[in-house]
Amino acid sequence: MKLELVTLMGVQLDKEVYEVMLPTAAGPIAVFPGHEPLVSIAIPGVISVRHNKGDADSQLEFFAISGGVIEVTTKNVRVLVDEADHGDDIIEAESQAALERAIKLRDSAKDQIELEKAHQLVDRHMVRLKVADLRRRHHR
Amino acid sequence: MASQQQLKSRIRSVKSTKQITKAMQMVAASKMRRAQEATKATAPYTQTAREILAHLAKQGATKNHPLFDARPVKKRLLIVIASDKGLAGAYNSNVAKIYLRELINDDKEGVKSSSIAVGRKVTQFVTRLKDAELVGAYEDLPDALEGHELRSVLDTAYDKFVAKEIDAVDVVYTEFVSSLTQTAQVERLLPAGSIDEPLNEAIREATFEPDTDVVLQSVVYRLIGAQLFQALLDARASEHSMRMLAMKNATDNASDLIDDLTLEMNKARQAAITQELAEISGGSEAMK
Repeated sequence: MKLELVTLMGVQLDKEVYEVMLPTAAGPIAVFPGHEPLVSIAIPGVISVRHNKGDADSQLEFFAISGGVIEVTTKNVRVLVDEADHGDDIIEAESQAALERAIKLRDSAKDQIELEKAHQLVDRHMVRLKVADLRRRHHR
Repeated sequence: MASQQQLKSRIRSVKSTKQITKAMQMVAASKMRRAQEATKATAPYTQTAREILAHLAKQGATKNHPLFDARPVKKRLLIVIASDKGLAGAYNSNVAKIYLRELINDDKEGVKSSSIAVGRKVTQFVTRLKDAELVGAYEDLPDALEGHELRSVLDTAYDKFVAKEIDAVDVVYTEFVSSLTQTAQVERLLPAGSIDEPLNEAIREATFEPDTDVVLQSVVYRLIGAQLFQALLDARASEHSMRMLAMKNATDNASDLIDDLTLEMNKARQAAITQELAEISGGSEAMK
């Protein structure tokens, strides 16, 4: 099964994989080869990728994504998102600091637009932090 | 004829100007290469979104959808994209010219137009116009653009269109054709046009979750987002390549000027020497 992770900045990943776990609007789903064709909405969250059948959880690859669209066919999984960050590129301390800043921004927002923006920032950094956390737990 | 001293100081000043323009040319060249690469990056994204959309269109989901609602245009929103800085040849004025033409057209046809400006130069231009209504201005966008930077521009346009406050959204930007050709132009963002993408067989049988409407909205939102992002990337690449060319011309002109001034200075020096010799020989003649 081929997984394509497509963002505005180009194709982030294009690889043969065994299993993909995706955050959708109706809850997380796991996709294996031969899944029925499906088009769904992705919400900000974590994508986990298992490359080979026997891989342990510690070998999973993580991506933090913003919202997007998922297209599943029997041989292909295409994930169309605005942004995707690879787990290795996320530094936990940095994300923590950014999250705190975003929360402060949210609490001091003066109008609806600022609040909306701050909410998006908070969501974004929460997801990144979650990815960093997953990585730490699995890769000790 | 100017004195040797004056010529010397002019040559020196032109030389340092040349060094600056040369440096700016180099900077623009390297930025252009990066920006040019970036303009290609959105292609797979757009392609995928179009494929899903084509599939939805086939099922008739786009027929009565608010984003595809092509109604008579009475009010429209223009998103004008140019640069923060000048010294890029005709880059900003080309965009301004097209923008002005659109405004005049709107005026003739009784269309009420409002604008969102991206870039400091164009913001200044719009605010100086008497009748233009500016609803948003964006400046100092970072060099390495990311999708969320445009979110608020996109959301403003999207919300106003859905609420029927405006009937059309157009983007005025500079298309990057090649490093030699860039054309300022207008492109329609909303209402979303028809899609004539060939159908991808693999998703013919697909289930849509939670339903087609939600998926459609999300896909269209992403597609116009990508279109806007592409316009901005194109504008970036065009800006840098036009700046590079402008700076190259400036450097060449400075070189020519230095040559001319050097020639003039040599002439002045030679004239002074000849004069001195004439005076000496005249003086010794008089001593006899």
